[in-house]
Amino acid sequence: MLLPKFEYHEPSTLQEALKLLSDLGGNAKLLAGGTDLLVRMKRKIDKPSHVISLARIPGLDEIVPRNGHSVTIGSAVSAAKLAGHELLSDRFTPLAMAAGRLGAPMIRNRATIGGNLVNARPAADLPPACMVLDATLKLKSASREREVLVNEFFRGPGETIIEQDELLVSIDINTPAPWSGGSYIKLGARKTLEISMVNVAVMLTLQSPDGSITDAKIALGAVAPTPVRALLAEKQLIGATPSEALFEKAGQVGVGTCSPITDHRGTMEYRCMMIEVLTKRCLMQAFERAKSWRPGR
Amino acid sequence: MKRIIQMTVNGEPVELAIEPNRTLLQVLREDLELTGTKHGCGLGDCGACTVILDGAPVNSCLVLAVQANGREVLTIEGLEENGDLHPIQKAFVEKGAIQCGFCTSGMILSAKALLDHNPRPSEIDIRTAISGNLCRCTGYQKIVEAIQAASETMAGSGGDAR
Ligand SMILES: Cc1cc2nc3c(=O)[nH]c(=O)nc-3n(C[C@H](O)[C@H](O)[C@H](O)COP(=O)(O)OP(=O)(O)OC[C@H]3O[C@@H](n4cnc5c(N)ncnc54)[C@H](O)[C@@H]3O)c2cc1C
Ligand code: FES
Ligand code: FES
Repeated sequence: MLLPKFEYHEPSTLQEALKLLSDLGGNAKLLAGGTDLLVRMKRKIDKPSHVISLARIPGLDEIVPRNGHSVTIGSAVSAAKLAGHELLSDRFTPLAMAAGRLGAPMIRNRATIGGNLVNARPAADLPPACMVLDATLKLKSASREREVLVNEFFRGPGETIIEQDELLVSIDINTPAPWSGGSYIKLGARKTLEISMVNVAVMLTLQSPDGSITDAKIALGAVAPTPVRALLAEKQLIGATPSEALFEKAGQVGVGTCSPITDHRGTMEYRCMMIEVLTKRCLMQAFERAKSWRPGR
Repeated sequence: MKRIIQMTVNGEPVELAIEPNRTLLQVLREDLELTGTKHGCGLGDCGACTVILDGAPVNSCLVLAVQANGREVLTIEGLEENGDLHPIQKAFVEKGAIQCGFCTSGMILSAKALLDHNPRPSEIDIRTAISGNLCRCTGYQKIVEAIQAASETMAGSGGDAR
């Protein structure tokens, strides 16, 4: 499959990239890892006449911890780097786990977090993880800058609030409170290279190792046109004493959040059953991690 | 408009003028005549086009050649040492891990990237490392065995053999 012709730009500063993006208007596409864009261009879904590479913009591929209170992740950080990052695995567990499940090793070496969020596929791996971590996205254009919560970012399949002239610069996440733990479960028909049938991300915070739940976040992917937070299920959990029965209940309530479809990857009924089971399982795993939380290094 | 790129391919510096819409896979096969890298799906699904770019395996069908400017590429042709097959290549031959051979270059490069970072992988590590490389012939078992055998040879026969 051949790529259509286009002009290629390789700006070496963010300012230059933003200027190109605003000057070229709708004829330009940003290129990060290319694992979505180049496929869409080969399939003639996207036909940009200009492609602007992010590769030479300094800093976009860095993970910067901020004194233990937060972390800034550049939009061009690869899934492989997220998955292998010690601090992320330890404190921002759902994101590192989700990145480790994205595609196969070769895809993970190229695919970026920015591309995954902006591409906004309902079944994508990183959006639910970013949602339970309450990530903030920094968007920049040549003339303005804004910060939006990831929970307000997605509009529909392939649609976000990002404007044509904006670039997603970074993803900022505050460090979860002490006694927090998280997990991520992806269900596909095969282990790798699989668009998920259902995916679940969870963060739980406890008052103390044997205390009640002070905060709970659950996000589900592939079950609705955008990834969704299971707010009613979260409500069940907050203030309650953790138990297997409670997590089972939360799973049942969580199903109510979803409007899954029947397709070749699975029927609606099967998906609902899986949402229930996987939400419970993910909560159990997050609970175990929250109990064994250790003070920072 | 054509662009001039410079990259190192199998240890040799090369300079080319190419159109930006050409993939690294096309340039390797068509301009540099390194046809050991295969073109399967062209969409990132099969791994036949796997090459090692700055130490990491990638699908060369989803990398623009211009993106490889200034970088180092290793293809299957770059594996032999002094006219001798690389230990992973030998193990594939000896263990019968090759049938039609279409997946083999990609498999071997994924295996090499694994063994470079993790000389003593578990079976799960091996299966994960080749999970983006599809083989329609062998059923994978012999490929996994070949990579295990290569890791033993490469780590040396003495000492910490498992
Ligand atoms: C074989 C295969 C398997 C896959 N498996 C999975 C999977 O299991 N799970 C999953 O979630 N995805 C999967 N994907 C999809 C894809 O790999 C991911 O969505 C990836 O994270 C996209 O990132 P990228 O850097 O490659 O994006 P690109 O292709 O470079 O860009 C994607 C889109 O985002 C825009 N964009 C990129 N960066 C920015 C930015 N900083 N600011 C504004 N816009 C930007 C681009 O213009 C483009 O429209 C798979 C893809 C392939 C080919
Ligand atoms: S040809 Fe590149 S992955 Fe199939
Ligand atoms: S040997 Fe034929 S595809 Fe693997």
